[in-house]
Amino acid sequence: MTPPSPSISRRGLFRLAAGAGGLALLAGLTGCTPPSVPPIGSGEIDLSFWTHDDAYVRFFTDAVPRAEAASAFRYALGVTKAGAADIVTKLIAQAVAGTGTPDVVGLEIGAFTRTLRGTIASELLTDLTDIVAPFGDDLMSARTAPFSKDGRLYALDSDTPMTVYYHRGDEFERLGLPDTFGTWDDFLATGAKLADSDGISLGAIATSDPGGTVQTFHVHLLQRGGGLFDAAGEPTLETPEAEDTLRMLVTGVQSGALATVSDMYGPGMQSGLKSGKIIGVNMPSWYSTYGIQPSAPEQEGLWRISPLPRFAGGGGRTGAGGGTGFAVLRDKPASEAGVQLITAAYLDPEQQIKRYRDMGYLPTLRSVYDSPELAALEDGFFGGQRLFEVYRDIVDEAPEIHQSENQSIMDTVLSGHLLRAYRGQATPAEALTDAARDFRGQARG
Amino acid sequence: MMSTHTELTVVPTELRRKHGGRSLRGGAAPYLFIAPFYVLYALFMIVPVLAAIALSTTEWVGIGMPAFVGLDNYLDLARDTSFGGALANSGIYTLIAVIIVVPLSLLVAQGLAAKGLKFRDGFRVAYFVPMVISPIVIALIFSLILDRDYGLLNASLHALFGIPNVDWLGDPTIAKFAIGFVLLWRTVGYLTIFFLAALQNVPKELYEAAALDGAGRWRTFLTVTLPSIRPVAAFVVVTSFISAAQLFDEPYLLTKGGPGESTLSVAMFIFRAAFERQQFGYAAAAGVVLFAIVFLVSQALNRILGIGRDQ
Repeated sequence: MTPPSPSISRRGLFRLAAGAGGLALLAGLTGCTPPSVPPIGSGEIDLSFWTHDDAYVRFFTDAVPRAEAASAFRYALGVTKAGAADIVTKLIAQAVAGTGTPDVVGLEIGAFTRTLRGTIASELLTDLTDIVAPFGDDLMSARTAPFSKDGRLYALDSDTPMTVYYHRGDEFERLGLPDTFGTWDDFLATGAKLADSDGISLGAIATSDPGGTVQTFHVHLLQRGGGLFDAAGEPTLETPEAEDTLRMLVTGVQSGALATVSDMYGPGMQSGLKSGKIIGVNMPSWYSTYGIQPSAPEQEGLWRISPLPRFAGGGGRTGAGGGTGFAVLRDKPASEAGVQLITAAYLDPEQQIKRYRDMGYLPTLRSVYDSPELAALEDGFFGGQRLFEVYRDIVDEAPEIHQSENQSIMDTVLSGHLLRAYRGQATPAEALTDAARDFRGQARG
Repeated sequence: MMSTHTELTVVPTELRRKHGGRSLRGGAAPYLFIAPFYVLYALFMIVPVLAAIALSTTEWVGIGMPAFVGLDNYLDLARDTSFGGALANSGIYTLIAVIIVVPLSLLVAQGLAAKGLKFRDGFRVAYFVPMVISPIVIALIFSLILDRDYGLLNASLHALFGIPNVDWLGDPTIAKFAIGFVLLWRTVGYLTIFFLAALQNVPKELYEAAALDGAGRWRTFLTVTLPSIRPVAAFVVVTSFISAAQLFDEPYLLTKGGPGESTLSVAMFIFRAAFERQQFGYAAAAGVVLFAIVFLVSQALNRILGIGRDQ
């Protein structure tokens, strides 16, 4: 008797399952091609907006009327908030899925480096190079370099996060310290004496988590005129600038002039600030909002800022660290509307002033630093100090940050060797040479 | 009804005879009943595992087509000192889990099972609470306790014994054991519950017989308690090994794998490769290696400890 057809044998079932699995795998790895939708040139538009910070939501929402006035669009922002690192992960996952990507996305500078690998940036993000061309040198290259690849700009930065020396004005006065130090050598000499006599540190650096450890080195290195990578994304660790910087930090750590904390935002730093054991810190301009004020709100009015001491060997009086670039997803119906929104929100002098007033982020247009409105602003947390007098003084010394797809590798390999140097287990030159060697090993060609 | 029943039972027998027992027609009902599980199992277990293996032979940044690279990722892993370090660290974490945490859990369970113990429920809750606290909170608390300059532990050690500050999270060697200590603090109470349940099921007659035979406490423990709780102990050992081998939360939240890479676990290595470096193929290869190691060691432990076999 012939069995009625169709019948499924066990082997057939397995074959079917394997085939289905293979298809699912292929679909998963390559993504589905999204249906082609024509771009929208005007009218009402639902714009998907991803960011990691509520402040950006408020700022861009406030900027909608300005964008509407400058364009033919009527915006409705659909906001999604996620962790800074998660945003890139979700962005890529949605791109692979072929649906659900945002129209405008805020990419924290460290997370942005992930888009530099392969063709992620060029495949996903709108090239903004021509959009910013009319601004010429007014849009500071210091803030376009970090979000560029192969000479193409993929995001507009939110900030010019220059480093300054935050310090406790009241403690400096009590201890008879000058408001500014000429060089880091002067700073370290004074700091060593102070650490020895009073157990007080003039600064602090992070030594636990790799990203934080490298960041504190990096901001000083940028000030010295060096960098972790050159414009081509190649590592530049074995340089006199890097060695000079590390030597300064090692001297500071070993003498106690610089306290070591797990990270610059953690409980150790908070305890140091609150107890008055740490009375100064060299960090970017946003650190007041994210580090000092949340850690020691009771010290309102006691803090001041000043330009950094110089390195005797060269460099400027400020470094840089951090930033968040806003990018527009390319080839989407709302791509044009997204570009109109971020340009209206970010490339307008009035908006840059508003951004500083609302969020404390420094302008990226050089001409805005001459604004009388900003110059007149007094900051209560800093005892009424006019901070822009300092920022305007140092803005032309703001260094460019060049990023690489291998930033994460740099963070992990360099942090370990920095710690060896701080502990005296390697000279600065040895530590940097070893870090460069390990970097080459992990960068996998 | 009867005819249906006959069809269901007779037809498969005929079909089996004619087709080597491999046809499912007519006898599909049992397969259909178990199908939902296997469909989901295949979809969410088998396919991802196969996908990971396939992915591990490619280089893929997350966008576009993966490029086939054969076994290059595995060869790179073999040369990668970072992966070697992560394997060694995970080895330390598993040793801490199996050699220290499990026996300590048994010890605590013994204490909690003691006759006449007051506040037994209070102790149980106290030991179990760390397991249900968010790892984020735990990381925050231990950052405060273990901070070199401002931590509670160093302050106490200095005040009591004059010991200089120890860099619990900043010293490459000590940080591993600090992570191990947090792992211990978090999991001992949870494992204690398993042991306590097992201890309470040991027949009292066995203890009475041992006492009549003149066995002391230690001998009673070795000859009565341990054999009686062996299945649970074996289960705890194997599951502790598996969780420690895949440890992620503690090193990620407390040290981010630092200082340097001294507390980096294999799970963190995989996360870092995939979600910080966009090296999905490389991450998948590391995942396959971790899977193979965990699978083989778990199987070995199963055999050694006799899990699933009669006494």
